[in-house]
Amino acid sequence: MAVEAGTAAPAAVENDESNYLTAKSGLKSWALTVDHKRIGVMYLVSVIVAMFLGGIMALLVRAELMFAGETLMEADTYNQLFTLHGAIMVFLFIIPSIPAALGNFFLPIMLGAKDVAFPKLNLGSFYIYVIGTVFTLIAIVAGRIDTGWTFYTPYSSRADNAVIWMTLGVFILGFSSILTGLNFIATTHKMRAPGLSWTRLPLFVWGIYATSVIQVLATPVLAITLLLLIMEKTLTIGIFDPALGGDPVLFQHFFWFYSHPAVYIMILPGMAVINEVIATFSRRKIFGYMFVAMSSVALALLGFLVWGHHMFTSGMSEYSTMIFSALTFLVAIPSGVKVFNWVATLYQGSISFETPMLYAIGFLILFTIGGLTGLFLGILSVDIHLHDTYFVVAHFHYVMVGGTVFGFLSGMHYWWPKMTGKLYNEGLARVAFGLIFLGFNITFLSQFIMGSQGMPRRYYDYLDQFQPLHMTSSGGAFVLGFGFLVLAVVFIQSMISGAKAPANPWGSAGFEWMTTTPPHAHNFETTPVITRGPYDYHLASEEELFDGFPEDRAAQGAKA
Amino acid sequence: MTEPQGTIQLPPQLSTIAPEVDAMYYAIYWISVAFAVAIFVAMGIFLYQYRRQPGRKAKPTGHNTFLEVFWTFTPLLLLLWLFVEGFEGYVKMSVAPEDSVEIRVRGMQWNWEFEHQGGVIDDLNRMKVPVDTPVKLVMSSSDVLHSFFVPGFRVKRDVVPGMYTSLWFEATTPTPFTSETECQSDNDCGSGYHCGQPREIPNGMNADELLMGGAPPEGAPEGTREVRYCSVSVFCTEYCGAPEGITLSAFSEGGYNSNHATMMADLRVLPVEGYDRFLEVGPPPPPECAGAEDVNVCWGQSIYQGSGCIGCHGNDGVRQQPAPNWVGLWGAVRPFTDGSERVADENYIRQSVLQPQSQIVAGYAAVNMPVYRFSDRQLDAVIAYIRSLTPDE
Ligand code: HEC
Ligand SMILES: [Cu+2]
Ligand SMILES: [Cu+2]
Repeated sequence: MAVEAGTAAPAAVENDESNYLTAKSGLKSWALTVDHKRIGVMYLVSVIVAMFLGGIMALLVRAELMFAGETLMEADTYNQLFTLHGAIMVFLFIIPSIPAALGNFFLPIMLGAKDVAFPKLNLGSFYIYVIGTVFTLIAIVAGRIDTGWTFYTPYSSRADNAVIWMTLGVFILGFSSILTGLNFIATTHKMRAPGLSWTRLPLFVWGIYATSVIQVLATPVLAITLLLLIMEKTLTIGIFDPALGGDPVLFQHFFWFYSHPAVYIMILPGMAVINEVIATFSRRKIFGYMFVAMSSVALALLGFLVWGHHMFTSGMSEYSTMIFSALTFLVAIPSGVKVFNWVATLYQGSISFETPMLYAIGFLILFTIGGLTGLFLGILSVDIHLHDTYFVVAHFHYVMVGGTVFGFLSGMHYWWPKMTGKLYNEGLARVAFGLIFLGFNITFLSQFIMGSQGMPRRYYDYLDQFQPLHMTSSGGAFVLGFGFLVLAVVFIQSMISGAKAPANPWGSAGFEWMTTTPPHAHNFETTPVITRGPYDYHLASEEELFDGFPEDRAAQGAKA
Repeated sequence: MTEPQGTIQLPPQLSTIAPEVDAMYYAIYWISVAFAVAIFVAMGIFLYQYRRQPGRKAKPTGHNTFLEVFWTFTPLLLLLWLFVEGFEGYVKMSVAPEDSVEIRVRGMQWNWEFEHQGGVIDDLNRMKVPVDTPVKLVMSSSDVLHSFFVPGFRVKRDVVPGMYTSLWFEATTPTPFTSETECQSDNDCGSGYHCGQPREIPNGMNADELLMGGAPPEGAPEGTREVRYCSVSVFCTEYCGAPEGITLSAFSEGGYNSNHATMMADLRVLPVEGYDRFLEVGPPPPPECAGAEDVNVCWGQSIYQGSGCIGCHGNDGVRQQPAPNWVGLWGAVRPFTDGSERVADENYIRQSVLQPQSQIVAGYAAVNMPVYRFSDRQLDAVIAYIRSLTPDE
């Protein structure tokens, strides 16, 4: 790659373009910025706050469930808490986490571009996200939302009017998704640096690209659905509520037509990060690169055809059920093959085990379990038993947390030095990983057993026989929560007193590491010309990989 | 419990379909274990073997078309097989045999009502089915979505307002009311079962003997006692909320059916003779009324408390909200929202219970009374009770 490694000496302190963080200062320089990196950072801060809130709610829910009967709160409060946990985690945290935060920051850099295709639109999307969040928060403060994150009718048609605010919030958030998606698609098509052909595109970009396609196609359906729900509630037009002549199952069709693809909006970016991390830490191109890239796109499209698998017990016709089940199995193939490809990438690599790689390995384990347990739910006769039990809860947490959140955390650790210019305490970060991994498995493995034994989900109270498993699960949740606390310490400590990061601390051949750390305000001094793929370690020059090889870091005395 | 035992993962198999579902469950379970072990072991070996070592470089990634085709298509075949098997099981679950016994199930926040053949309805949340006989449930909901789930039978189906859904099963294991199935807590019953609502039973007998028309043996002490029996668990699995701002006594303390989590029913699988007898005589008056001065008044009062009338109607002559007080109701002239009037007599009360929306008392349009379906004997009891609340002058 013909990028002049960032050696240009910073001339002036004021308006120092060589560091996007210090290029401008003041609140306004952030609030009105069109720099995709700053927008990414603002998203990052918001999604972390959302994750924190959602996490607290999860812990409260688990605390209530430690014992049968009333422990801390009454049923109504409990119902609101699990609803908010779900809604916040899905709409405010997971969906925007990787694409909007990390994607915004790194997609243009990886493309060798100065910015996204429409920088102002990008800022607009951020503010739309903020407005949506505000509406959601109003709903939380003003009202009583206890519908579950799925807002199933006719329960939601009759529920408290705060549901209108909440759905309006989610509706608005949807537009943020759509616009960000559009922006990324345009950027990927139009802004690639000279020499960056589609076959050289980093897999992170492929993943975000596929995600964007789904966001643009699926989110409008969610918007329409929520709008119909709002209309039903405010104008009492019968759409979903049978008391008004509507059809409650129609809502489920609409809702899952969005929400199944949304599962891929959530998981594809997680996979996208894992590609980068595994490649970097094994010093090897991902095995079956083209297959992995295309499978993301295939998942994006096939994902639109399987929404009915959430409704096998709803009273659909047997024919629809059959087709949805068959297609669901088909979708399992690309995900499965991706796992095989990742494992095959390790073969003959040169693997090191820094924290990002630990999360990637965690991802492989948890995602495999999440994926395989998904097969139980695809088999019609078995799904009838498992549907709406804790088995489902455990399954999707393995996919969403074990997959997406581990992907997100892997990416956070991986790119943290690039984003902030600082290193973090590797030892403590590994401890946090250990706690999170352990806590997560304790929490959710016990839920698989509870579920197959017949414990229904969304229960405030339960039969005594489930007590030991619930207790175990709650215990795991507190370990998990503690792990996140340690993680917070790691990042906060790094921000305050972290050592200065070299430009390429992991010795990656990826394009984003070829610029200075933290990146130049325009990403690169000069437009780079791409001469090799992002994983071509055998083609990368020693200098490109040199600046901060992990094995050299000890020698340099930067970090143990 | 005796008879079929559950495993670590699954509750006992209490219906004919359960073994089939479980076979599929374990098939996919072992396939998953095999895949997971293969993946994790390969991963572990690679991670160790190719850990970074000084002076060793990664080999550039090559191609292996055979491998890629192989691991794409082998799982595909496996999945195809799983799909076909699962679908076959599902079809079996969907098509009820012609000769099924039909039971109507009505879901409402937060109770189940079961209308057995001939309109026989026991208390809310009590269901009886005959053993070794296919039973078809025809289900509807009067408010929001519910879902009827019996883990021991491996059946589940949503209960949807505005349409009928159905499911069927054939229970294989009777759940007798004997002293072995008496319980104090759910832990006494094992998975698939729970400790049911308490029942009043005359001393010296169990509910099986009561059902079959037996009498307490000679020398048994007078009076009744409260007994709980292990019953097959019926859950509601489609989220249906909780009342706002009411502190609930916990389920484990008997606070039944106050929210989604406690929307449970006690299902009993009876021997065929027992079930037939149940249909014949209907639910008996509660045993505690056996010695009462007026059996019907006592029974009516127990319905008033047990079926939830108490939640809306007062019997103290004072509380008039959310529904009219019953003191002084009998024989009074009732004004309706449409301006008409009617004297409260037997027929009026009957109509008010069976079709509450047909005539709405003036001033009460805001609250909808749920529709109840009672047997004639139960209606007589309600009427007798309401009548007893108004002193004859
Ligand atoms: C959700 C609250 C609610 C419950 C529970 C309820 N009712 Fe009612 N009921 C009402 C309301 C409101 C009215 C007055 C409006 C109407 O006529 O429908 C009423 C009216 C009546 C009337 C006519 C009273 C009159 O003043 O003319 C009778 C009789 C009656 N209910 C019987 C019952 C019985 C028996 C039960 C229990 C098996 C019961 N109700 C349970 C709300 C309830
Ligand atoms: Cu889905
Ligand atoms: Cu319910």
